[in-house]
Amino acid sequence: MNTKIRILLQGGRVDGFFAYKTTSGFPFPTLFTLENIQELETWRPTPARYPILKLLLAQARKNPHAAYGILVRGCEERGLRELFKYQQLEQDKVIILGQACTEGLAKYCECWKPYPDALDYGKPAPAMAKSRKVEELEEQHREARLDWWLSHFNRCIRCYGCRDVCPVCFCTECSLEHAELMLGEILPPDTSFHLVRAVHMGGRCIDCGLCEEVCPARIPLRSLYKKINRLIEEILGYNPGISKEKSPLSFLGEEMSLPSGPR
Amino acid sequence: MEEKKFEPRILAFLCNWCSYAGADLAGVSRLQYPSNIRVIRVTCSGTVSPHHILHAFQKRADGVLVAGCHIGDCHYIKGNYMTLKRLKFVEGLLDFAGYDPKRLRLEWISAAEGIKFAGVVREFTETIRHLGPAPPFDAIPLLAGNM
Repeated sequence: MNTKIRILLQGGRVDGFFAYKTTSGFPFPTLFTLENIQELETWRPTPARYPILKLLLAQARKNPHAAYGILVRGCEERGLRELFKYQQLEQDKVIILGQACTEGLAKYCECWKPYPDALDYGKPAPAMAKSRKVEELEEQHREARLDWWLSHFNRCIRCYGCRDVCPVCFCTECSLEHAELMLGEILPPDTSFHLVRAVHMGGRCIDCGLCEEVCPARIPLRSLYKKINRLIEEILGYNPGISKEKSPLSFLGEEMSLPSGPR
Repeated sequence: MEEKKFEPRILAFLCNWCSYAGADLAGVSRLQYPSNIRVIRVTCSGTVSPHHILHAFQKRADGVLVAGCHIGDCHYIKGNYMTLKRLKFVEGLLDFAGYDPKRLRLEWISAAEGIKFAGVVREFTETIRHLGPAPPFDAIPLLAGNM
């Protein structure tokens, strides 16, 4: 990893590179530049996951003319593609190196593609086509499912962690903070909080699972969004991060090309 | 004391250009339909955010009806395509969250279809009456084994 990144940085292709640095035995996401280039380490697989796309997005917004490199997993590569589609990042200003997830992590995530297309490091782990957690929920009676979800939503402390960590939540105005739709003074928030967020994840969620990881109330958000992804695929034939076109739920997608005027 | 009969509360989002005019025609033509419906006029069925629908259920609506122009007739050209895509998906989400997707209904009602409007309201009210009151949508105490 250090050789490739070194070449990119020293060749002036990128101004900075987001990769990991071991601190107190744990890998931490770090922005490598020419200044700390000697701190680069050799690649090793790790189950640690970070909102590295969020860091890249923040950095790119601060320095719109700079080019950055980033070490991505399968989910993060999908996330990058979505950010390109929504024009949050410029494709020619981002260089990626891909790393495969370990088999253990792929199983834990029930990931359907635990490796990026641009694979530089590691061996691809087998993909999991089905999610056992979602299937278990689907097998329950509807009433039991409602109780199950409500008792989970009950613990929500409205910290907005799921939104803030989400790599594809880039809006500057959020309807979950709308004073009329989401009353501010009650806890737990309206149960529609998570369902509305789920709606917004439709056609966007790249299944990185950081929301569930970061949730202090341990709400099984990932099962909810996995189901959302499946619905979008079944109904609209769209796969976030894989399909080339924009999400069919984005306002006026292909319809924008319609000629204006009366007909 | 006699128990009060369940009267469904149905919220209807009607688009200004077709369905609201259809409801108007039903009224002008003196067609009878149940009074369980509360109408909100919107500019286009495509402006009805899933947020509004979920909020309605949150506020204990027993059913939500969204009605707009027929496909191809939208005043804003493609608004109702958006409604169609969105509602199909919200139905699936409601089902997964444990809510009966039959409580949400999408209909295309043109300005000339007063009879259809009255029929839809009658039918939908009967469906909801049959389903019974909507389950509460408030967070409930912990179930055993969820932590």
